[in-house]
Amino acid sequence: MPVVARSLLCLLLVLGVACGDETAPPDNAATTIAEVDGSGQAATVGTALAAPLRVVVRDAQSDPVAGVDVVWTASLGGGSVSAGVQPTGADGISSVNFTLGPLAGQQQVTAAVVGLDGSPVAFTATASPVAAGDIALVKEVPIPPHYGIHDTFVRDGLAFVFAWDEGVYIFDVGNGMSGGSPSNPVQVSKTVTAVGANSPSPSVHNGWWFHAPGGEKRYLFVGEEGPGLVGTSSTGDLHVLDVSNLAAPLEVATYHHPDVDAETVGIHNFWMDEPNQILYAAYYNGGVVSFDVSGTLSGDLSSRVIDEIRPGGAGNTFVWGVMLGPDGDLYVSDMLSGFWQLGTAGGAMSPLAGGNNVTDRFGSDLWIHPDGAVAYTGTWGGGSRMTGNQIKVWSLDGSGAPTLSSSVTVAGVSTVSDVEVSSDGSWMLVTSEYGDGAGLHLYDLANPLAPVLIDHYPVASPSGGLHTGTTATIAGRTYVFAARDPAPGGPALMIFDVTDVIP
Amino acid sequence: MRGALRLGLVAGLVAAPAGLAAQTEDEVTIGFHAVPALIQVDPVPGGGELSELRILHPVAMLGATSLDGYLTAMAMLNFEGATIPDGELSPGSWGEGFVDRRHPHTYAHEFMVSAWQPLRAEGAVALSFSLGKGFVPFGSDDPMTRPILRYPVNHHLSQILERAVGIAALRIGPAVLEGSLFNGDEPASPEDWPRVKRFGDSWSGRLTLWPAAGVEVQGSYARVASPEHREGAGLDSRKWSASARLERSSDAGQLYAMAEWARTSEGAFDFSTVLAEAAARRGSFGAAYRFERTERPEEQRLADPFRSARPHHDNSTLGTTRWTIHSVSLSLTAVDDWPLLGIEPFVEGSLAQVTSVDAGVFDPVAFYGDDQIWSLTLGVRLAWGQRLHRMGRYGVATGPSPSFEHDAPQRAPAMHQH
Repeated sequence: MPVVARSLLCLLLVLGVACGDETAPPDNAATTIAEVDGSGQAATVGTALAAPLRVVVRDAQSDPVAGVDVVWTASLGGGSVSAGVQPTGADGISSVNFTLGPLAGQQQVTAAVVGLDGSPVAFTATASPVAAGDIALVKEVPIPPHYGIHDTFVRDGLAFVFAWDEGVYIFDVGNGMSGGSPSNPVQVSKTVTAVGANSPSPSVHNGWWFHAPGGEKRYLFVGEEGPGLVGTSSTGDLHVLDVSNLAAPLEVATYHHPDVDAETVGIHNFWMDEPNQILYAAYYNGGVVSFDVSGTLSGDLSSRVIDEIRPGGAGNTFVWGVMLGPDGDLYVSDMLSGFWQLGTAGGAMSPLAGGNNVTDRFGSDLWIHPDGAVAYTGTWGGGSRMTGNQIKVWSLDGSGAPTLSSSVTVAGVSTVSDVEVSSDGSWMLVTSEYGDGAGLHLYDLANPLAPVLIDHYPVASPSGGLHTGTTATIAGRTYVFAARDPAPGGPALMIFDVTDVIP
Repeated sequence: MRGALRLGLVAGLVAAPAGLAAQTEDEVTIGFHAVPALIQVDPVPGGGELSELRILHPVAMLGATSLDGYLTAMAMLNFEGATIPDGELSPGSWGEGFVDRRHPHTYAHEFMVSAWQPLRAEGAVALSFSLGKGFVPFGSDDPMTRPILRYPVNHHLSQILERAVGIAALRIGPAVLEGSLFNGDEPASPEDWPRVKRFGDSWSGRLTLWPAAGVEVQGSYARVASPEHREGAGLDSRKWSASARLERSSDAGQLYAMAEWARTSEGAFDFSTVLAEAAARRGSFGAAYRFERTERPEEQRLADPFRSARPHHDNSTLGTTRWTIHSVSLSLTAVDDWPLLGIEPFVEGSLAQVTSVDAGVFDPVAFYGDDQIWSLTLGVRLAWGQRLHRMGRYGVATGPSPSFEHDAPQRAPAMHQH
């Protein structure tokens, strides 16, 4: 029982006997550590410094010493270093790259080797704030906290806000039907969907306004997210609203997924193949389900199910989201089994490639670059894996098979909850939660495999941030519609004008 | 219906003592209590050990009785919001957004007024009404007044506290039946007050029997609306509790024992607990032991691994863990100048075994670095004036009728108390 032993030793400290951690003797040959270069650089918050930080370790004769482990720590400002421990090379030099944290002002990194003269070596860098006005918040629409806003879908100048127990709000943000605009959203209607079989409340989570091939815009698909056990079970039904009259939507159909392996199954995000009138829905532990949504929809949609697939298999499937790529394949982000490519044939799905390729973190949202050669997935939370502070960048080969290309760390957050690439592929929005760095992040995709942060709008809280975001062009300007968590400041639809920021 | 019940409670509180013809001596007591403690835990979330020196349970109490004891008021201010704003290091504890730290209680911890009315001679049948902010008639006594300092993991399964509550209680001989209405929302910070608009959205009932001298048995049930989401968008709880309690005193010393079972269901989630504890005191020396096996939900942690989001963003959990904990405490009454000063140093240790009881994605070993967690506490209980009362019972529910009372001493349960 080490804690008791140490406590007794510490009690002896009161009597004059020292206690404390033993320190390992330094490397026999190494005696000093000193900076080579790297201190004093400046950059924008959240970006990497141009030059690496370097130290040199020498012996008593001032000769460089190789193989000494140097411990690098981002000690002030919330930034990150490329390696926590970096051994010296033959030239005695250890170097790391430093990505500034989200806090403007002076930031610091230390390089340390216990027992060496000069240790620790402190590097400072100046983090400049993002220029005010780059991302312009044009409107904040408070949402009653029951619990709040989860997702937004924008099309034809209408913003569909999915607001948990408040139901579905429809705002005119430039459609013209009610004279609204992004800076002056006008509420068209509010509809509370039915409570699903295993949910305690409407728990309205997400949606998609279906534009059928013939031009009909009759149906709004709504996902409900009830209680779940991440990795094992989920709840929540699919609801279909007839929005022929946008001012008075009417629920006309629903689908309740049966249990799988004795666990309840609920819906999450979805994507539509509108030309073929197929809805693909992520169903967490139920995998992916495809529906035929052609024609008139009413009542129970069980007969509309085309196919189901659990790409990771039983016990290794918990699908967050799906998206059709430009090649017609369906891409799947599974919290447990990673990123998949599925073939589709009239809604029938089959695994083509990928899977079991993200083991360090849980997956979250996804987006396929319109060039079809690159994809991005977010990462989520914690549990038994590392915190979800990365964007995974995937290279898709000629057949669309994914290979992990790189990981972009979003400093100061615990979850990257949403990603979306602009329709022209030139930039990407990311929303993040939980930490000093939480908020809206915009990345330049001049090189799609190497996103570069171009702006960050902080919506920071230890217990919240921005949960989701989507972009739309209205009256020639580009906006991001984002869902703010209960913290900070209460749930709200935040509308940003990003026209002057994006490439 | 609920509105009528609310009005009835208030009317009863006002009317109950009205039948008393004579007013006798009034009494007012005050008291202070605090426990400076050095706590060491190994491992903490993320691995490694952590030691902290904190002042726990810093409270000021005011008690008043009037009308020959038929009207009582009690107030307790709790200053943990100032002394442990980040919580008390306490592996296994959870609730109100804290994990592996016990949350600080609200500054206005308890403000209750009770009035009771004997319906037959010597109070063999009596009725009481209680109203204020305090404990809901559900479950066992608050851990603050029990022999082991460290709160059990089951605190949020076995007690419901800091609510705006109205209680009606009927005592018939050795039995008391209580019913209450209260607000379901639990506080989210030490400054929080119950949401008045939610008063009456939750209810509880408790039946208590005193079958023999010093023996108490209770069973209770509660429906709590959205306790973890103050606006009411969270899951509702159904709670059950059963416990038996023994307290004996003789020339040889004092003996206390309690065993309880409780269960909370929230949607598809179920969390159960069993706990047994005993304490003995002989002369100045006291010893206590507690065994606990409790299940708790695992939620997504924030950047601070001791915290989870409040209000939460959905109703999902990462899994359920079961905490099996053995705790031992030894104490010495150094000063016992009651009703003035009380000083009682103590040492307390516990060993917790953590296991995952369902699939989920929470792995205790990956998170803590070990599935066994040690903790050691060195501290001193300090008290001045009125000692901690038995927290969780009001009016006629504090004990059996006088005809039984001579066989069943009802003083506070914790062995360190007067």
